[in-house]
Amino acid sequence: MESSDIVSIESVSKTYDTGFKALRNVTLGIRRGEIFALLGPNGAGKTTLISIVCGLVNATEGKVTVNGHDIVKDYRAARSLIGLVPQELTTDSFESVLGTVRFSRGLFGKGPNPAHLERVLRDVWLWDRKDDEIRTHSGGMKRRLLIAKALSHEPQILFLDEPTAGVDVELRKDMWGTVRELRDSGVTTILTTHYIDEAEELADRIGVINNGELILVEEKTRLMRMLGKKQMTIELHEPLSELPERLGGFGLELVNGGSELVFTYDTQADRTGITALLDELNDANIGFRDLHTTQSSLEEIFVNLVKRPT
Amino acid sequence: MNFHGVKAIYLFEMARTWRTLLQSVLAPVISTSLYFVVFGAAIGSRITEVDGVSYGAFIVPGLIMLSLLMQSVMNASFGIYFPRFIGTIYEILSAPVSYFEIVLGYVGAAATKSALLGLIILATASLIVPIEIAHPIWMLFFLVLTAVTFSLLGFILGIWADSFERLQIVPMLIITPLTFLGGSFYSIDMLPPVWQTVTLFNPIVYLISGFRWSFYENADVSLGISVTMTLAFLILCLMIVRSIFRKGYRLRP
Repeated sequence: MESSDIVSIESVSKTYDTGFKALRNVTLGIRRGEIFALLGPNGAGKTTLISIVCGLVNATEGKVTVNGHDIVKDYRAARSLIGLVPQELTTDSFESVLGTVRFSRGLFGKGPNPAHLERVLRDVWLWDRKDDEIRTHSGGMKRRLLIAKALSHEPQILFLDEPTAGVDVELRKDMWGTVRELRDSGVTTILTTHYIDEAEELADRIGVINNGELILVEEKTRLMRMLGKKQMTIELHEPLSELPERLGGFGLELVNGGSELVFTYDTQADRTGITALLDELNDANIGFRDLHTTQSSLEEIFVNLVKRPT
Repeated sequence: MNFHGVKAIYLFEMARTWRTLLQSVLAPVISTSLYFVVFGAAIGSRITEVDGVSYGAFIVPGLIMLSLLMQSVMNASFGIYFPRFIGTIYEILSAPVSYFEIVLGYVGAAATKSALLGLIILATASLIVPIEIAHPIWMLFFLVLTAVTFSLLGFILGIWADSFERLQIVPMLIITPLTFLGGSFYSIDMLPPVWQTVTLFNPIVYLISGFRWSFYENADVSLGISVTMTLAFLILCLMIVRSIFRKGYRLRP
């Protein structure tokens, strides 16, 4: 936990009345101004954690502060800093777009500010539809409206619970743009997502939660470096029937009918072994026409993490 | 105090009334007018006077109370149940509003709607039968107090209910029978002694009696008892609401 953290979660546990343990001793600090992605499979505890910070669920144990304000004792100050976009598309069907955004702003204790509401609705491309009844809108438009509602009271922290679930690819990319703009304007964003590419695209840091436990929290780039293996594929001039003995120490794989060699190496090691391998290939007169490297995606890293026994 | 928050909830709830004007206002006015036709004209022609008041005029406070109770409970219960049902309650619970402010917004709007409706019914009734209000301030006191108390009851119901069927149970199976049996259409003096005693266990008797007293200065029970019982019911509802929010019952798991 650092003093620069805008959200501080300390030893939080949640056991529901049914006996289900949704969170187990979670400690996490969210840094001011970052985009933090919380990854985890269904039922991992992502939404419960967000719900506790936002005041929708009571923690069984632990303490949460938002910008130094305890979410229980000083809930007004804490909640007024937060905007929440829920996972479900929950809207008042018969209310107008502008009416519902105005309602959200008032609910969070802010006086009327038509200019701000216009700006927010323009940012999510809904200003032209401001007088529509919400029931006439598509799922994607409702999702954007929920973002507008969450931003209506000028929050410093935005929680996005599966923000692009069920929206098309184009809109998803537009939303990513919106999230980046918010980060640039100083809004701290915490998002949960099933889309790993979303986290890979947007996040500064990533937390992985599984079975109610926070498995790790790491800078995205460092996480990918640490846990992502890198592979070099060498396309040979002539296929090999078997791997020469002198190349046995490199852990090579012969694939694609013997026409490709795959070398897996550690990017963090002092020596990757690439130079030595290429020298050996040269000495063994094994010619190659091309080589390329690939790195594990965040998705592969995530799958490996949640598969580990906890 | 989050005044903007209370105002937002209040105006949102009131806006629902304007959107559903036919259902919210016109329907109760028409059904009350039909009561006048059935009870006032058909039965009233056989019962000329009750306690010195023409039967048509005698039933006016009871009819207003009948609508007031039903509408207070239904408006408030629907107001809080519907956001729970569709999920928009998340916004209320995550907002910097206290429990008191949430209740003030929802119950305030429900009580306003039902009190206005009560006045509309009174105005409608005055077109049909001659009505005198001996104590207008007391009349408004009972009107507002009953609207607030039963809106609180409706709010509790809206949190307790986990289906639309349950939402309907209390108004249809409890409030309506108790109102009919609470002296809406008769003076309890007209009942046999045993039933008079039984009727005194019906809390709605005290509301109707006090309300009718404010019109015609005659009552089944004394004014003091009516006021005490109504306030006691209000306090009971407030205590239940406070307990609900403290425990997070059906709102915050």
